[in-house]
Amino acid sequence: MHLTRRDFLELAIVTGAYLSTNPVAALAKMKYEDIMRFKPVGNVTLIFTTDMHAHLDPLYFAEPMNLLAPKQLQGKPGYITGMDFLKYYKIAPGTLEAYFTSCVEFPKLAEKFGKMGGAEYIASVIKHIVEERGREKCLIMDGGDTWTTTAIGTFTEGKAVVDWMNYVGYDYFVAHWDFTFGKDIFLKRIEDLKKGGCEFITHNVVDELWGELVFKPYSIREVNGVKLGIIGSSFPYTPIANPRQFVEGWSFGIREDQLQQFVNELREQHKVDAVIFLTHNGLPLDLKIAEVVKGIDVIISGHTHDVTPQAVRVGKTLVVIAGSHGKFVGRLDLDIKNGRIRNYNFKLYPVASNLIPPDKGARKVVEKWRKQVADKYKLDEEIGVAEVMLYKRDTFFSTWDWLVGEAINDYYGGDLDVVHSPGYRWGTTVLPGQKITVNHVYDYTAITYPNVYVLKRTGKDLLNIWEDVADNVFNPDPFYQQGGDMTRIWNVEYEIEINGPQYKRIKRVWIGGKPLKENKEYLIAVYGGPPPPPDAIHPDYKPVPVYDILIDYIKKKKNINVRTKPNVKVLDAPYKTYDQCYKV
Amino acid sequence: MITRRDLFKVAGVGAVALVAAPGAVSQSFGAKPKKISIEDALKEHLGVGLSGLKESNLINVKAPTIAESGANVPVQVSANIPVDQVQALYIFADANFNPWITTVEFSPMNGEVFFATRIKLAKTSPVRAVIKMKDGSLLTASKEVKVTVGGCG
Repeated sequence: MHLTRRDFLELAIVTGAYLSTNPVAALAKMKYEDIMRFKPVGNVTLIFTTDMHAHLDPLYFAEPMNLLAPKQLQGKPGYITGMDFLKYYKIAPGTLEAYFTSCVEFPKLAEKFGKMGGAEYIASVIKHIVEERGREKCLIMDGGDTWTTTAIGTFTEGKAVVDWMNYVGYDYFVAHWDFTFGKDIFLKRIEDLKKGGCEFITHNVVDELWGELVFKPYSIREVNGVKLGIIGSSFPYTPIANPRQFVEGWSFGIREDQLQQFVNELREQHKVDAVIFLTHNGLPLDLKIAEVVKGIDVIISGHTHDVTPQAVRVGKTLVVIAGSHGKFVGRLDLDIKNGRIRNYNFKLYPVASNLIPPDKGARKVVEKWRKQVADKYKLDEEIGVAEVMLYKRDTFFSTWDWLVGEAINDYYGGDLDVVHSPGYRWGTTVLPGQKITVNHVYDYTAITYPNVYVLKRTGKDLLNIWEDVADNVFNPDPFYQQGGDMTRIWNVEYEIEINGPQYKRIKRVWIGGKPLKENKEYLIAVYGGPPPPPDAIHPDYKPVPVYDILIDYIKKKKNINVRTKPNVKVLDAPYKTYDQCYKV
Repeated sequence: MITRRDLFKVAGVGAVALVAAPGAVSQSFGAKPKKISIEDALKEHLGVGLSGLKESNLINVKAPTIAESGANVPVQVSANIPVDQVQALYIFADANFNPWITTVEFSPMNGEVFFATRIKLAKTSPVRAVIKMKDGSLLTASKEVKVTVGGCG
């Protein structure tokens, strides 16, 4: 339970809730039954999670203030945030739903409603739905980014999460970061899942040389008398966004022509009643898939961490995505008859850990691993206090990434001109006033290739890199985006026109307060991307895991207070800042 | 779906006549090589520039939207045009130093207009297929392939 004294007083006086057994429920004016309320429809229920990022423990995770989009995509799901999001979906500010789906008043609401997600709470919600509906009517699916990027996920090589998935009884899985354990461990975990009855399906990974499928592309399953075809898609840009070495010999891609062939095959040869597409493509990309590929009934998307409180309709296709970090369990009830979806009902259940009873079996499965990892890596050690909210998600800037820049520069003796921090959309949120633990640091950085490298790059090289990333974020065609945010660039201020021409979006740049010079060499530090060639690494600066640098730095500084003002000026779109969402 | 293995079988039987880009070998020694524009490359091989080509949705250029490696980009061109009406297929990459990639001549023995290969891309560029018809007309279709910097970001 996470309540401040002020909340308790407010609660006691206003609601008389001190008499209640669950004060959070009284404050939220919501109980477990309210969270679980759902009007069942039809004969099939799809239950799904995605992008848990191995968060087996509940956490705080704020939705972003900004999701800046090129003009062509503005205002579409996947690019709506904050108050605009609440208005778009008619959600009242200050409610549990607002807390889960927007950044508005996040620190205040976090004190009120507490932590989100967690293996034992997700398990409770899924089991509740399965019991209510009957197992024979349900399919349980996960959209990937599930096994790694926390201490418990990464240091058990995904085993802790796979054990939990098998306990819950997942049926289908697709992947992205999960590949970064490397092929051997990845294939082993796929086998572990298979023993638990969960199948890895992916149509868009082929042998690089021969172009032959590496995995089973789809599965045909009869669910409550309805014949379903389920096609899987893993993250199309895995070998580009993450080190190639982990998936050497495999080629990825969107492969929309091949997808169309599989859809046709399922419909014409196998006479399925409905085609489900389980993906780690990202919502904007999947919205375009729904336009260009004919015959898909439902797309269950993942990767971009978007939240769709209502299903998005594109032609005859329904597109849904269940957020990230274990915050939501998605449920889509379908009434399918004679190859047609006649009716549906959809809901994202907020996994409010203070309102949902924990599943004891799931707790047992996770606890064993948790204890091992917590002891070995001192996860619970308190190393500092956050004086501002530490968050990662935003299009350009975050307090966490600025802290990373400061810490890395400090570690290398203050010699650096620039630090790049990758624009992933995962991490955690540390509230203002909250103690920072070792575990928090791993929540932001626990990857299988954690080293920081120091290199020399000319001003021109740097501009090329930034323009390249900017095009992966702001290309108006989602098929050319990689679904992440802009690289965070410490010690640099710049102006950008997101609708500017390809590779000409960045306007003026200052490094350490001075205008960037194209032919000048700068000393930069990078991590979290494909590793630089060995001869590019500066011999005087040893590569070190980013989490080690951060743990030491936070211990040294104790009180963590970093700037909240972005270092980026957006010239052609409104860009919201910290005070508009997070100030208490 | 045609796999690469199938393609090799087809290529073995159908005798696709292929002229590969000569690459750096053709550069004369000592002279500083000059970037050839797509306009000039088209003129050299086809006698006309971009304005002499007709956009056609009968041609399908299949290539990744973002290349996994610029050094090895799979490209597949097919056309919904009877092969006996086609004289040759040209592939260009507009932004390459020398945009001309290859010329493939077709005969009715090929059965259909289909060609798959791997190309090098120096940077983000449209990959352009041009089909020269026997009546002399030139049809084109292209797809942008992005080459990302990678490795140092």
